[in-house]
Amino acid sequence: MKLILIFFALFGASLCLETFVGHQVLRIKTRNEEEIQKLQLLESLEHLELDFWINPSTPDLPVDVRIPANRVQAVKAFLESYGIEYSILIEDLQVVLDKEKQDMANSQQRDRSSNTFNYGTYHSLDDIYAELDRLASAYSNIVKKIQIGESYEKRPLYVLKFSTGGSNRPAIWIDAGIHSREWVTQASAIWIAKQIASDYGKDPSTTSLLNKMDIFLLTVSNPDGYVFTHTTNRMWRKTRSKNRGSPCVGVDPNRNWDAGFGGPGASSNPCSDSYRGPSANSEVEVKSVVNFIKNHGNIRAFLTLHSYSQLLMYPYGYKCTEPADYAELDALGRAAASSIRSLYGTTFRVGSICTTIYQASGGSIDWSYDYGIKYSFAFELRDTGRYGFLLPASQIIPTAEETWLGLKTIMEHVRDNPY
Amino acid sequence: MQGLSAAPPAAFLNLLLLPLGALLLPAAAAPGAERELNPSSRLAAGTARLALHYLNSREASPGALQALGQVRKATLKSIPDSGHKYYLQFTTEDYKSGENTGSCLATVLYLKTKSLPVVNIKCTRTKDQNQIQEEDNRLYQKLRHQTKPIIGNNIPDSYGNIEPALEPVWALAVVGSSYIMWEKSTENTGYFMAQVKSAKQWIRKDDFIEFDYTVLLHEIPTQEIISCHMRLTWLPGHPLKVKYFCASENQKVEDGSGVESGSAAGILHERGANF
Repeated sequence: MKLILIFFALFGASLCLETFVGHQVLRIKTRNEEEIQKLQLLESLEHLELDFWINPSTPDLPVDVRIPANRVQAVKAFLESYGIEYSILIEDLQVVLDKEKQDMANSQQRDRSSNTFNYGTYHSLDDIYAELDRLASAYSNIVKKIQIGESYEKRPLYVLKFSTGGSNRPAIWIDAGIHSREWVTQASAIWIAKQIASDYGKDPSTTSLLNKMDIFLLTVSNPDGYVFTHTTNRMWRKTRSKNRGSPCVGVDPNRNWDAGFGGPGASSNPCSDSYRGPSANSEVEVKSVVNFIKNHGNIRAFLTLHSYSQLLMYPYGYKCTEPADYAELDALGRAAASSIRSLYGTTFRVGSICTTIYQASGGSIDWSYDYGIKYSFAFELRDTGRYGFLLPASQIIPTAEETWLGLKTIMEHVRDNPY
Repeated sequence: MQGLSAAPPAAFLNLLLLPLGALLLPAAAAPGAERELNPSSRLAAGTARLALHYLNSREASPGALQALGQVRKATLKSIPDSGHKYYLQFTTEDYKSGENTGSCLATVLYLKTKSLPVVNIKCTRTKDQNQIQEEDNRLYQKLRHQTKPIIGNNIPDSYGNIEPALEPVWALAVVGSSYIMWEKSTENTGYFMAQVKSAKQWIRKDDFIEFDYTVLLHEIPTQEIISCHMRLTWLPGHPLKVKYFCASENQKVEDGSGVESGSAAGILHERGANF
């Protein structure tokens, strides 16, 4: 029906002739064959210019008909004289058409300047990338989109830079989706991006943070893998690089960093989901981040999002000994977990990677920590195994909201404790 | 040999218990000694989960399925020439709703030999036994009175949705998978049920519910996705009958060439009387 309305609107608009002022659409309920025949008689009277949207055929179905303004009374009199029941579907068709035109115009305007991106659902890579553009455009005073490299399959790696100015300010790095099947992380990251942008100038904490520091947010660290989870295998974790001498594809990008590379907790088998790769930084997705961090030179915190298990971890993963800053990192981790819990009661376990989850070499926060970025944390978001990777979309926003609180706690500490 | 003292020194025994290079395994102080574990640690959580897999499969009750809440206390005792014994206290949640369902005390003995972990578990439940039975019966009725066999795929789907009509199918799969996961778990390898890839019901003339499943298990710490084919029969109040065969999905190579043998290749596990 909507198509018909649109068609008529366009048709009318193009001809600049036809309007539908005063046209009424009636819904006629027939009870028997006799009444159907009466309506079919009406149908045959062409001079009435009746436009049947649902033609009379069987008493089971209603009959919908558009009647030109000057025929409305006559048709109603006809129906009433035979005791045929009807109701008025549309009093004045032109009013409806005008409203529809207005709605369409409004909607287009909204798409351009405000937000129709549904954060409470999972999106394709293209849709996420489009939203990055929209955010950068809508909040161009503080958000810029930069490309830090290309994936194996030549997809751009986009980072959003949140900055209120200065020159190479101390900065926070946040990334998500390094393991492509962990969909709640990319989804949370784009929500967090929107939150940072819209909070500036409104939320005291975010405002003071951005007045002193920059934030770099990589919402999809592994775009090739992400696309693969949509097109082919929802459970894909690794990159999509070809492995020489093996029919198996991909490297675990979180075993590929130069931190204890080659040690326990990573596989040397290309077919394994924790394959470390032929050498550290062999994966362009990893190398691009390493290069960016090194070139920037002033990154003060490195925060990475994973799922699932509800954990907040600090180094080390490649060895089971405590980092030098263990006490501070543990206390900060607990404070962040406490912030997370304050919203929906979601509990995160806190500890080093090795003691909390498992020994794993070549991980990103081990590299960043050993590189000198003291505040290095890895989050494992919801849930604890019930849905696992397949977290229902209804949990995206709650997850993003609570995660954001945890991130803020850490970022505030980084802001207040320059080193 | 003559003249050797009876008991080897403690340190030597520890070397026997620790596989080479396995920093993963906890280093017990001395044989018989107990060591308190951090309740946040993976060993504690993993072992508690194992105990719950065992409980869930033994109870064979979709209405009673429990998930791990939090570990309150964990102790590890190494038993000379035998293995590691864990003593655990943890809270539980209803598998479906996440509501707190009480707490459990459990011991789990991982033997040095490659046999199944020995589990003893006792739980106090907030959920009433009658409630559980009612749920099981409700579920049973839904599955029993099918004119056509139920068929489903990807439960939950990529977006985490489970069709309400397929919830009983999913719950039953969790029960069956719990059995598989208990059998496959070791002190260092744990499992979660990631997804029901396919489910097909077989209508039977007797009262039993029968399903063919392909389930995907998420294996920690390898991160592998293991595909298991599972055939189970169920009747409330009866032990579960499960036959299964697992192959590592990752070994299913993209080009279709050169496959290594999977962990359980060619082995059919069966529990309970013959089908």
